Amino acid sequence: MLKTPDWEMMIVFYFFLGGVAGGAYFTAAIADNFGGPRDRQVVRVGYLLSLPLILLCGLLLIADLGVPARFLNMLWVFKFWDPMSIGAWGLGVFGAFSFVSSVLAFSDSAQMASLRRKLSLVGTIFGFFLASYTGVLVSNTALPFWGDARLMGALFLASAASTGMAAISLLLFLMGEPAGEGWGKVKRADRYSMIIELVILAVFLGLLGSAAAPIVAGSFAPLFWGGLVAAGLLVPLAMEFLGPRAKAASVVSAVLVLAGGFVLRYVILMSIQT
Amino acid sequence: MARTLAMFTDTSLCIGCRACQVACKQWNELPMEQPEWTGTYQNHAHFTDKTYRLVRFIEKSEQKGDLAWLLMSDVCKHCGEAGCLEACPTGAIYRTDYGTVNINQDVCNGCRYCVSSCPFGVVAFNHDTGTASKCTFCNDRIHNGLGPACAKACPTDSIQFGFRDELVAKAKNRVEKLKGMGLKNARLYGADPGDFLGGLNAFFLLLDKPGTYNLPDKPKLPQRNVFVDSVLSIGSALAVGFGAMVAFRERGQRKGGDTDA
Repeated sequence: MLKTPDWEMMIVFYFFLGGVAGGAYFTAAIADNFGGPRDRQVVRVGYLLSLPLILLCGLLLIADLGVPARFLNMLWVFKFWDPMSIGAWGLGVFGAFSFVSSVLAFSDSAQMASLRRKLSLVGTIFGFFLASYTGVLVSNTALPFWGDARLMGALFLASAASTGMAAISLLLFLMGEPAGEGWGKVKRADRYSMIIELVILAVFLGLLGSAAAPIVAGSFAPLFWGGLVAAGLLVPLAMEFLGPRAKAASVVSAVLVLAGGFVLRYVILMSIQT
Repeated sequence: MARTLAMFTDTSLCIGCRACQVACKQWNELPMEQPEWTGTYQNHAHFTDKTYRLVRFIEKSEQKGDLAWLLMSDVCKHCGEAGCLEACPTGAIYRTDYGTVNINQDVCNGCRYCVSSCPFGVVAFNHDTGTASKCTFCNDRIHNGLGPACAKACPTDSIQFGFRDELVAKAKNRVEKLKGMGLKNARLYGADPGDFLGGLNAFFLLLDKPGTYNLPDKPKLPQRNVFVDSVLSIGSALAVGFGAMVAFRERGQRKGGDTDA
């Protein structure tokens, strides 16, 4: 009889918020490097959103330890093949990039902007890392379903992108700057991410087959199919493509995507641990 | 590195007295737990942070309606390639000079990744100390010339302690002897390093298929897919990143040929 690690709500929140932080950062970095002056708000919001989330992530991780005061013990060892080990390092390094990018996002000088763009290209790698390593972490355990899911990291990354972009889009709306072209671009990028996420999710379930039973059947199935597949992906996509062009529709769709991302982590973590 | 030590548990000799379970509790100062009704004589149902040795009482139905009673004193396998050790991010889980796997209680910070990485469900989280715990192979005893408490207490030599190479040779002879006595399903579990997990330093002689004892046939190292999973994640990053690039690209600034449709 195998044992589950009792990673419960704090880790569900960590997986979700880490994804949003990574997704927001790499979205901002891509907008920074490939977008134009009209995307400046996207860039700022993305960088500045990632920073507090990473701090929160660090606190959640430490609080969830059996002996929180020993969290530094993870940083005396570096095992490149161990997701838990490089995860702790990756979170720290990503936090540093997020901090520098956030500070530089306030500067109007062209030199600083150029430095910020170059740094963000490296930071993006760590953003992608934070967005996906949590999936690779659970898919390399001895437990059924988790250990069988080869695309767990890929799925978490696509979900991190869609939720990170939804979070930026929501913040832009709340800041009262939804009309800018940047907002439209974030929403377009979010649509692409959701489509990629749907495709990966379909292959993920196909590869798992009956091993996916903990989420596709049983007591977690309604939440998975209703909360993630329908409300978190299909409805927002349908609203984006077919729905009214009203701003309110975009807000509802962003909220649904965020809730779906949370549900994804929740069902994956909790379904085999209860 | 010193010569590898091992424990050989010969289930054909086990009488289910649980002296090993009690000796383990006493030596390691493990507190009692509430007994559970498991449907058999077995108690407890699983390894816990307070139960490192556990006698399994397996009732197997035979064709003639008889019941075969299989007894097995189970313990941490001290795997040659240990999932818990690979998973540990603090270095708390280490391999001793004798080849056994131990958890340094002063270093473990309770992340619990090892708990989910044990292919046998051995490692358990101790909520009192906030750390992971499991059989230590009586690390304090073996470093002072004594065998593990369980092996010492076993009245039938079902649990034997010694150098691994000697015990494996002994175990192989024992299997042949049992087969000669008509126990056709007798086999070793984890004795050969080539079978799985680099060989178990606590290996077993079973009288039936591993599945009958709720043991996995060919357990695998949980970390074997880190590379593949990472490459697939990078693929996902490229797809998502490309999508975002297309969405944010400034058409007016593109060089040549790019017309705004």
